[in-house]
Amino acid sequence: MGLFSSMRISGSALTAQRLRMDVIAGNIANADTTRLNGQRQPYQRQQVVFTPLNQGASSPGDGLQVAAIVKDQSPGRQVYDPANPDADPNTGLVAYPNVDTTTEMTDMLSASRAYEANVTVLNSIKQMAQRSIDLGRA
Amino acid sequence: MPISSIGGLSPLPPRLPLAGAGAGQPAGVDFGSALKQAVGALNQLGSQADASSLALAKGDPIDIHEVMLNTEQASLGFSMAVQVRNKLIDAYTEVMRMNV
Repeated sequence: MGLFSSMRISGSALTAQRLRMDVIAGNIANADTTRLNGQRQPYQRQQVVFTPLNQGASSPGDGLQVAAIVKDQSPGRQVYDPANPDADPNTGLVAYPNVDTTTEMTDMLSASRAYEANVTVLNSIKQMAQRSIDLGRA
Repeated sequence: MPISSIGGLSPLPPRLPLAGAGAGQPAGVDFGSALKQAVGALNQLGSQADASSLALAKGDPIDIHEVMLNTEQASLGFSMAVQVRNKLIDAYTEVMRMNV
């Protein structure tokens, strides 16, 4: 356990939350995407899965990492709009992505707060280290 | 009246072996190389901080918190080294002020 190992743990959490933020940004940006690779197919919402890094039975480990970015398989909403170029020619329904902006917003808040929490931990670690350096300044 | 002669001095008790500086056993590293190693590690922290801030300035894909962590580590390490130096100087002046 070096002085900086806890800083590395919190740093990995910061990186993971940044990636989660990227994924959320991609979801919100593609909330109305109806075409994928030139074909009529709605965008599928993405989610991140976190996993602890090198955690032993009695060790705090090295923080966390993103295990995978998975696609949400739930069905999207269908909107009747025959004028849309991506509408189904038979039914006139446009398949929109399964992105719910409200859910993404709450996820975004959650990621932002988690980032803040880890920054607070980092500040605390830094203060502890500075206090122990002050120990020699008598 | 006979006076008994003064007996010879009894031999001195054997010297206590000094840890680390004993004649036969160099237990662990000596102070000089430990210091050199610590300064080397400190230098590495500094160059790591340098490299990451340069990468950020160049626009390479590096997270800001990564840069801040590296600089903070270098800063903490440096203040630690300054404290160690202060202690060394204190010890030196203490010895120099000793009455002989």
